[in-house]
Amino acid sequence: MPPIRDKFTIHSKAVVCQDVELKGDITIGAGKPPMPLPSGPIVIGSGCIIEEGAIIVNRRKEVMRIGDDNLFEIGCRVESPTVGNCNTVCTRARVHHTLRMSSYCVIGAGVLVVPTEDEMLDDYTTIYGPSAERRIWSGRGKVQEMDLRRKHAEYLREMLPKFNRLRRGDGT
Amino acid sequence: MDLPIYYTRAEYIETDTGNKVSRRATISGPQNIILGGKTIIASGAIIRGDLRRTGPGHAVVISLGRYCLIGEGCVMRPPYKTYRGNFNYYPMKIGDHVHIGANSIVEAATIGNHVEIGKNCIIGKFTIIKDCAKIADNTVIPPNTVVPALALFAGSPGRFVEDLPESTPEMVEAQTKQYYTRFQPLPQER
Repeated sequence: MPPIRDKFTIHSKAVVCQDVELKGDITIGAGKPPMPLPSGPIVIGSGCIIEEGAIIVNRRKEVMRIGDDNLFEIGCRVESPTVGNCNTVCTRARVHHTLRMSSYCVIGAGVLVVPTEDEMLDDYTTIYGPSAERRIWSGRGKVQEMDLRRKHAEYLREMLPKFNRLRRGDGT
Repeated sequence: MDLPIYYTRAEYIETDTGNKVSRRATISGPQNIILGGKTIIASGAIIRGDLRRTGPGHAVVISLGRYCLIGEGCVMRPPYKTYRGNFNYYPMKIGDHVHIGANSIVEAATIGNHVEIGKNCIIGKFTIIKDCAKIADNTVIPPNTVVPALALFAGSPGRFVEDLPESTPEMVEAQTKQYYTRFQPLPQER
């Protein structure tokens, strides 16, 4: 494997904390990702929230695309080659590189998702519990959930620079 | 008495009230965190005091009581929600003699006195843990749960397992005090 060349493009409105480990070619849209550890070309959309200790890894050669308004909670690990919009990966959940996520999916707290073959999750799929059971979310409360996510991102954009040292975004 | 747990003096900062805070712990917004005294914060812990309630004046984000232990790699983070259309983080209150095991993630609203939380636990947002409760290792407590007093919770999702004896407060108090006395700098550095 050739050595990873570091190349970051951080949107001027994105908030990236200084302790974040970034490796390889990474593009971050307007939003807030504190503390991921990726390697390989990764493009993160706008309005994403990446919490403490979250790990985002690209296992493949092609670009890993993460859509808008996703929430990656504390200590989760995501290796999916594509992630749609408005997904939630809860605390300490692990998603293997064979799983692609579409939109509005929820991976519950501490869940380990390892499909043996490549799989694309349908919209509104929820994976939960110790045995990774699945259900389809009715979509009820979607507007409220997205409203909360948007306000959360807005709050963090305002508050994080007051208490944490940030990485400067150079690109747009 | 059990053997002492030694630490290198360079790694921990000791305050006047006997708090021992590791230099390798990440503490953001320390002006919003209150430690009750004789509390130990181990290395690798993350405590988010910067996620405060918006509004003017001083806001306490996380308050810890006396004889608490925050284990290695713990994440302590206040819970958030929208209330009447306003997004806010809400303060987290932790009582006295509370031990939190290594690598646990805590987003509780209130934790009472004499509470034991095991290793690798996930305590969801706005959880209320009453006095003398015990959470077993690897438990996942979903958001908004109320753990009653003198109960043992275990599993994923965390469920009631059994009642704890009435002597629990005395036992836990003795245990946490002993842990604090056992936790001391290496003898050659004294």
